[in-house]
Amino acid sequence: MDEKLLIAGINHRTAPVAVREQLAYGDSEIAAALGRLKDRAPALAECALISTCNRVEIIGVASDPARAIDEAIGFLAADREVDAALFAGALYRFEGRQAARHLFRVGASLDSMVVGEPQILGQLKLAYSHAAEAGTAGLVLHRAFHRAFSVAKRVRKATLIGRGSVSVSSAAVRLAGQIFDTLGDKTVMLMGAGQMAELTARQLHALGAETLLVTSRTFDHAAALARALGGTAVPFENHRPYLKIADIVIGSLSAARPVLEAGDFEAILRERRYRPMFLIDMGVPRNFDDRLNSMENVYLYDIDDLGAVVTESLGERAREADKAETIVADALDSFMRWMDGLDLVPAIKDIRVSIEQLRDTELGRHRAWLATMEPAERRRIEALTRTLVNKLLHRILAGLRSSGAGSPDPVYTAEIARRLLCGDLAAEGPALNPAVSGLDFEIDLDSDDDEEP
Amino acid sequence: MLGAAVLFHTMDLVLGAINAGNMPVTNFGQSLSFLAWLTAIVSFVLISRMRMQVLGAFVAPGVLAAVAAAMLLEHRSRLVIPDSLRSAWLPVHVTLAFLGDALFMVAAGVSLAYLVYESRLKAKRPMAPTGQTTPSLEKLDRINYRLLGWGFVMLSLGIVSGALWAEATWGHFWSWEPQESWSLVTWLLYAGLLESRVAAGWRGRRAAALTLAVFTVLVGSFLSVSLLFPGKHGGSFG
Repeated sequence: MDEKLLIAGINHRTAPVAVREQLAYGDSEIAAALGRLKDRAPALAECALISTCNRVEIIGVASDPARAIDEAIGFLAADREVDAALFAGALYRFEGRQAARHLFRVGASLDSMVVGEPQILGQLKLAYSHAAEAGTAGLVLHRAFHRAFSVAKRVRKATLIGRGSVSVSSAAVRLAGQIFDTLGDKTVMLMGAGQMAELTARQLHALGAETLLVTSRTFDHAAALARALGGTAVPFENHRPYLKIADIVIGSLSAARPVLEAGDFEAILRERRYRPMFLIDMGVPRNFDDRLNSMENVYLYDIDDLGAVVTESLGERAREADKAETIVADALDSFMRWMDGLDLVPAIKDIRVSIEQLRDTELGRHRAWLATMEPAERRRIEALTRTLVNKLLHRILAGLRSSGAGSPDPVYTAEIARRLLCGDLAAEGPALNPAVSGLDFEIDLDSDDDEEP
Repeated sequence: MLGAAVLFHTMDLVLGAINAGNMPVTNFGQSLSFLAWLTAIVSFVLISRMRMQVLGAFVAPGVLAAVAAAMLLEHRSRLVIPDSLRSAWLPVHVTLAFLGDALFMVAAGVSLAYLVYESRLKAKRPMAPTGQTTPSLEKLDRINYRLLGWGFVMLSLGIVSGALWAEATWGHFWSWEPQESWSLVTWLLYAGLLESRVAAGWRGRRAAALTLAVFTVLVGSFLSVSLLFPGKHGGSFG
């Protein structure tokens, strides 16, 4: 037993977008990637993969976390055909408590480029559902992800951290204001439908941008989005001619190669008569060739550039983040207690089975006497014995779990309890009664920390 | 601040004019002073009408340098303008020509601001979002274009009025003396600059850099004509 949660990955703080985009996975690729990961990393008992603009992480469970992480990194390098040395320096690895803390902080948007942005929760849920569908999420990951979601919900409710959520798009809008005097005669082109990109386009349109063009790989998506935003849909195959009238282009397509290349852009600029062009790249991998920035009157900002521009009211944000960190720490304690409890599961299982058997045996011995009773009385005696068993079990479980610092190792204590209560049965190993599944114990262990507000 | 400075400067010029009985533009120092005054007025109009406060930072040093130089040179020589040149043409010609120069100077200041902002945006270090005081690149570019346009008109009128005045005084329009030649050169350069924008769509960074380059030529001609090749314009009226 003794399984540990682990996380290995890179994020916006440790790696520039040029590295992140090489490891990134598209939504549709993740399920298949999880299958390959399982094959390549046998040390991983459970695994999930999250890939967003700002991070690529493998979240797993293993009894030998160090080896599992090495295998996972080897998989990432081989699967993305990237030299592991490229991201070795940017990689972080967390185990046990640190890993759980990281997962909770990510979910609560404390680890985001723009602290408090709400999209990360959705992305985390997606990563979880991929793992659940692929069958790579087990008991621990289910629990860890659900904890992360509930922490995120609590943080959102109890703090004002979400206020900065639109900062990246407003940074983009502010930059547009430094390039263009008025949006009234400008054309905005939205490529793809990332949330942040859509939000930016919406704001620009609301500020008076004259025309909004929407293009996407699937024309139906573009058409639906264009309807929602009050713009015009353009078929993706036919978007090039529109670039010469587009003053602001927002990219959020998922594409392995840049959609706008520097090579043939000069012709477009000449046709535009060198009117300034603002390219906002919110895609990872990036949609626009970064050499475009060196072209005359073209201003290209990718997601990292925008993040750097975001200036926030640091005081308030820091206070709210502190509150959020406290919520994370609380949840972390209870999760770690639960993880520790997992180690006790075999012993607890035996104790429970042993006591249940005791009850069954005693009831069996008095079956003849019980048969003479009124059905109501008989039920009452059965209920009484069940209550007695449960009370006793509860007291034992509570005693095992409450072992704090300074008290003996809970696994050791549990073993002693097992020997005392099970006697000979202990020798026969755990799971005496296959009908009693681990899930029952999970519910038992849970009883006092599921106090969702 | 700038408004008050312009006011005092105006008073000084008016006094000088009354004192001399003509416009105080008879020597290099006075010319500089007059030019600085016109530049300050153009800037003042832009700042108050277009909310271009930041322009002050880019034009003020130039105005200050011109005023300082003018003060140092002010009393070096004071020429009396010959009667033959005392006519209504004097203020018309001088004002037009200097107004053209002043507009070009402000255009150069605007271009400098453009280049600074532009390079910061390119380097991903944009100006802090301080609100209205940072003009957009588009606005700077448009104002640059307008200033160049008006400067060009003034320069053209200045040259034409000078030619007419010369015809009235000496009987010939053009005598190829240094200031006239240089004016023609700068006129051609500015014409080219405007043409490149209208025909080839050169705008933004390229236009700003060219504006500065041509302005450097203009300053060079102004200084060299005044200090090195004094013809009629330099104060030795033949």
